[in-house]
Amino acid sequence: MPEIRVTPLGAGQDVGRSCILVSIGGKNVMLDCGMHMGFNDDRRFPDFSYITRNGRLTDFLDCVIISHFHLDHCGALPYFSEMVGYDGPIYMTHPTQAICPILLEDYRKIAVDKKGEANFFTSQMIKDCMKKVVAVHLHQTVQVDDELEIKAYYAGHVLGAAMFQIKVGSESVVYTGDYNMTPDRHLGAAWIDKCRPNLLITESTYATTIRDSKRCRERDFLKKVHEAVERGGKVLIPVFALGRAQELCILLETFWERMNLKAPIYFSTGLTEKANHYYKLFITWTNQKIRKTFVQRNMFEFKHIKAFDRAFADNPGPMVIMPGYCVQGTVGHKILSGQRKLEMEGRQVLEVKMQVEYMSFSAHADAKGIMQLVGQAEPENVLLVHGEAKKMEFLKQKIEQEFRVNCYMPANGETVTLPTSPSIPVGISLGLLKREMAQGLLPDAKKPRLLHGTLIMKDSNFRLVSSEQALKELGLAEHQLRFTCRVHLHDPRKEQETALRVYSHLKSVLKDHCVQHLPDGSVTVESILIQAAAHSEDPGTKVLLVSWTYQDEELGSYLTSLLKKGLPQGAT
Amino acid sequence: MDPECSQLLPALCAVLADPRQPVADDTCLEKLLDWFKTIADAGSSLLLLQENPCLVTLLCPVLKPQDLSPRVLAFLLRLAGILAAQEDCFQHLQQGDLLPRLFGEAGPLGGAAWTAPTVRSGWIQGLCSLTQHPSALCFLAHSGAVDTIFSLQGDSSLFVASAAGQLLVHILGLSMQAPAEGHPSLQPAHWPACAQKIVGHIEESLRATATPQVTQALNVLTTMFSHCHDPWTQVLWVHLSPLVACLLEKDPVPAAHSLVDLLLSVARSPVLSSSSCGLWDTLAQTLSRLRASQAGPLALGILKLQECPKALRAQAFAVLLQPLTCVLEATTQAPGLPGSVGGTADAPLTAGMLLPSKAACVGLLCQTLAHLELLQPLPQRPSPWPWAPLLSAAVTILRLCNGSATPTSDTGTHLCAFLAGCVRVQRAALDFLGTLSQGTGPQELVTQVFAILLEYLTSPDSSPTVLKKAFQATLQWLQSSPKPSGGGDLEPHAQLFLRELLPVLPKRLCSPCWDVRDSGLEFLTQTVRRWGGQAGFRHALLASEVPELTEQLLRDPESYVRASAVAAMGQLSSRGLHIIPASPGHPGAQQSLLEELLHILSTDSEGFPRRAVMQVFTQWLRDSHADVAADTEHFVARVLRVASQDLDWEVRAQGLELALVFLEQTLGQPSSSCPYAMTPPAAAPPSLVAQALQPFCRVQLFDFAFRALFDCDRPVAQKSCDLLLFLRAKTASYSDQQGSSSGPDVASLEAALQRWQAGDQGQPLGDLEPEAVVAVLRSLDLEGLRGALAESSDHAEQSPLSLLQDMLATAGILGENEADCY
Repeated sequence: MPEIRVTPLGAGQDVGRSCILVSIGGKNVMLDCGMHMGFNDDRRFPDFSYITRNGRLTDFLDCVIISHFHLDHCGALPYFSEMVGYDGPIYMTHPTQAICPILLEDYRKIAVDKKGEANFFTSQMIKDCMKKVVAVHLHQTVQVDDELEIKAYYAGHVLGAAMFQIKVGSESVVYTGDYNMTPDRHLGAAWIDKCRPNLLITESTYATTIRDSKRCRERDFLKKVHEAVERGGKVLIPVFALGRAQELCILLETFWERMNLKAPIYFSTGLTEKANHYYKLFITWTNQKIRKTFVQRNMFEFKHIKAFDRAFADNPGPMVIMPGYCVQGTVGHKILSGQRKLEMEGRQVLEVKMQVEYMSFSAHADAKGIMQLVGQAEPENVLLVHGEAKKMEFLKQKIEQEFRVNCYMPANGETVTLPTSPSIPVGISLGLLKREMAQGLLPDAKKPRLLHGTLIMKDSNFRLVSSEQALKELGLAEHQLRFTCRVHLHDPRKEQETALRVYSHLKSVLKDHCVQHLPDGSVTVESILIQAAAHSEDPGTKVLLVSWTYQDEELGSYLTSLLKKGLPQGAT
Repeated sequence: MDPECSQLLPALCAVLADPRQPVADDTCLEKLLDWFKTIADAGSSLLLLQENPCLVTLLCPVLKPQDLSPRVLAFLLRLAGILAAQEDCFQHLQQGDLLPRLFGEAGPLGGAAWTAPTVRSGWIQGLCSLTQHPSALCFLAHSGAVDTIFSLQGDSSLFVASAAGQLLVHILGLSMQAPAEGHPSLQPAHWPACAQKIVGHIEESLRATATPQVTQALNVLTTMFSHCHDPWTQVLWVHLSPLVACLLEKDPVPAAHSLVDLLLSVARSPVLSSSSCGLWDTLAQTLSRLRASQAGPLALGILKLQECPKALRAQAFAVLLQPLTCVLEATTQAPGLPGSVGGTADAPLTAGMLLPSKAACVGLLCQTLAHLELLQPLPQRPSPWPWAPLLSAAVTILRLCNGSATPTSDTGTHLCAFLAGCVRVQRAALDFLGTLSQGTGPQELVTQVFAILLEYLTSPDSSPTVLKKAFQATLQWLQSSPKPSGGGDLEPHAQLFLRELLPVLPKRLCSPCWDVRDSGLEFLTQTVRRWGGQAGFRHALLASEVPELTEQLLRDPESYVRASAVAAMGQLSSRGLHIIPASPGHPGAQQSLLEELLHILSTDSEGFPRRAVMQVFTQWLRDSHADVAADTEHFVARVLRVASQDLDWEVRAQGLELALVFLEQTLGQPSSSCPYAMTPPAAAPPSLVAQALQPFCRVQLFDFAFRALFDCDRPVAQKSCDLLLFLRAKTASYSDQQGSSSGPDVASLEAALQRWQAGDQGQPLGDLEPEAVVAVLRSLDLEGLRGALAESSDHAEQSPLSLLQDMLATAGILGENEADCY
């Protein structure tokens, strides 16, 4: 029995370290290869030893697909390819391929420079890993091999983020990665066609949240920043998720322009500056508004926002806005949890005097958005990843109720197995198709209709042909098959008269059909033949012998039921 | 335990026990367990419990598991396991009847919480931790836990199932430890009850008809024979081997991969392989029973064994070579490989059977090539190693892949259709071909190797990954080419090849794919490093467009390529291969490269090219490159001035490396006994030392090094620390004589250091006097600084105290800031 198997090694009932193994049609694919921000040891990477107990990874896995450049989706990639030893292809979109090494380098810098780790992947390893990448375009069907194909769809979320359809024969799985169903200031909304996959693997970060209006959140953000600046203060916005920095920059830039503000805005010269270059380069991946105005003005070339220079390093002002989640073990986490005293390096204790605000600008689909995507793709089954168990449980019920499909939420290490019914391709002969077309009915994808023919299996191939062609090809003689039925009529008149009454009745009822009364006394309606005979035992009863070919099966059945009701009194 | 932590622990336990207070970050509980494990490993768990009674109170809510979140429940189970690993603490928890209620039927085992894999995982990990002493074994026997572990072997979670198998092995090993003091009993029937139960379960599983059950049993045995080499394991194998042999009778052989693993673990066990116990026969039988893709790993495993009967090795090698033999036969070449495609005499294997479909053919060939690549460098590889047929097979496969082979049989045509354009096989074959360069083959074959490599390097159809492999294989073959007896130049073959390759290289350097340009440059750097001094190569290179193109790639849009171009240019220049005829526009080409690299160092927006420039400069300084030697001080001063301002920490660290090379060249190696090194002697007069340090002052080395001591990037600070410690050692004797030194220079330098330590950027120091440097060097606590720098930058945030504070602080505000993500 063919089946699809899914095992999350990461992102199963948790957020972080996305890594999902999918077996489909005998092919094995790894979706994302992320790291966990919360650990500094082995636990930061998925445990790849579970992928295959026997044999080499490169022999087992047909490909790795990376949905977007965030480290919880690609942070373990150089480790996996250069240290664990995977030597096969890695697929991602062009912007992801461009920005991925920047983030991996930054990750390496934090691990090696800040935390002093030895045995971490090197810059050369990152480069060698990137050489294994095959970049794909949106909506381009890429053949990984003769049987396995993948196709990327726009996912919003960050520049280059994509959902991937993985297809082997007629079986398919869609993996969303992280996505956003509402357009933001610089990206469009995620979109997928009605591909009806066997399984949709979707993220569920905001499984239970219906997010408030973005406009309100943005207004709130700008108000807070403005107030702090008006008071003569400074605002620090440590944006650690690449992509969000660009969103906030556009937001601030537009506001500054509208309000004619003069206070300088700086962004760090590190990642944001580097990534900004690619945001300018991959303008086709941004939203419609930015693409439209791009010729007059590239929205990523900021007027008010300048690159931060070390010379501006000064005590940050009285406010810090944290635009996303911080994991335990970071200063950000401490500040967010309201701790007012921070122990820094060298046992130096700092008092937090500034105002701290938490505002989520993370670009994930909310519960409504997830439901919308499920509706769009029309999957046969749904599997939730990248979320918390409790929230997933709620969404799972909602999906099962609304879409009447099975919804799964495996924990890390748990395997979900879905049986699939393989579709068998059948070729149709041109003659048969032409005959169908000659009936004047144009094909319509939305209205399936019946097509009669003979199914022939030859050389492990199936073909549907006309019966005449089948007979010819197989060298068989045709046999005629007629259905017969006896109907008893209470009529004391002679057989000829009964036949005449039947003829009159049918002539009046079946106006669209050719009803004939033949010289031998029998009546025909198309291929149906009706003969009246006397009953051997009851002279008051006549027996109508009805016979028809299988082509007129419908009409024959109808006539029989009609005659069984008897003849109207007035019929002569 | 730290008193501060001890103080916070009761509050934290209260938070954890309160179901209304969810724990936000799933990493916190893991880290908390790490901490408890460290404490338990370092001292008495019983004491820990007695000093922190809140821990016992914390474990009690498990009795009402429905109230707790699965994560907290799993945490408590694991914590109990860690604490109960010590026997006295185990007894203490037993007295409170806590353990049976945690791990027995009354605990989460029977409840709804059990459906959560986290809880099952916590339960099994808890048990694994506590199973360290005989009391634990009694507990397991009485609580019925072993039966639950049996059932967990088939758990839907891979993690739980795998842990269950490992726990069974652990329990079996521990229960056998007690009788192992004497001789192990010959019959498992006389083993301890717990061990008997497990062995009985394994026997039952091996007899099962369901493959998953057989797999579980085989996996448990594999883990056991791999990790435990006690004499009783031999008894166990003798007892179970008939059942294992029975598996071979079935068609198809169930759980073949796991069976292979088991047989190899048995063969590797020192206790078992020496006595054989019919093992070799079983291995031989298995080899002939399994499908080619399953037999391959077994054959490789057998050939890697240190000791093994000759006949079995021959059989294994034949199995391993089968697919390649097929390829050779299908292309009507005399196989010449030790294994024929024979299989058994009455059921000969044909290429069609062995390589039936494209997927099977590709998979099997890739596996075989990888296995042979692994085997070849091992000392126990079969001898003689069939270099020539293997070379022939690798070349043939590559030809089938690029369509240049002309098959003469139907099978050959099929193979051609399967392999044409197959990138997977091309990569595997090129990897293997590269490895084969370690041996020798007939000249004719070597010619074929170079020809096929050239075809791949030239072909427009070669994918970037294939090209990279082709470059690697080429380099390996060139490096292994024997030097002609006359010495000096490259072997004529390789020389001819390089001459043919050099016109191809420009095409690759102009490729639209950055990875191809980069691989081409990496190849060029390596070849120049190796043969840059040989006349034939030099001539061919200079006659090609390669040097010119490489220089153009210094301005490539891709930073990776620019960096590789810098490295290549550095190498070309070192070998005197970067000679552009002097023209009015190029007054002295060598000089212009130095300037160009300096320009890259000061202006390139990306770190990689700047780092590459620093590496080239450091190498040039080491090698006394002509441009550097012309005015070393000037060169060092210019480079350090730019590098010290760089925003990339690796460039600054490289700058310090260059400074260290300069120091060593001037003062001599740390342990150098070179009589010509300018080391101040033990009683060197002050003037001599001052004179020795003057050049460093002139190139502003101290300004850079002292400032770097407080660099925000710790590897830079560490490097600077090392450099200054080296310098201090060199000047130690001098400063001993000098006594305490004070003066305006020293004071201003110390003041500057304090400013830098406080994070102030400040102005450059200006001219420093060597005496002031020596005095400051002596007063600085460089060792202390080095110790502080060895700690991670987030060690304060990662400390247990910080963890407890964070968990307590988060408990109150979870509702406000729900877990978000990136």
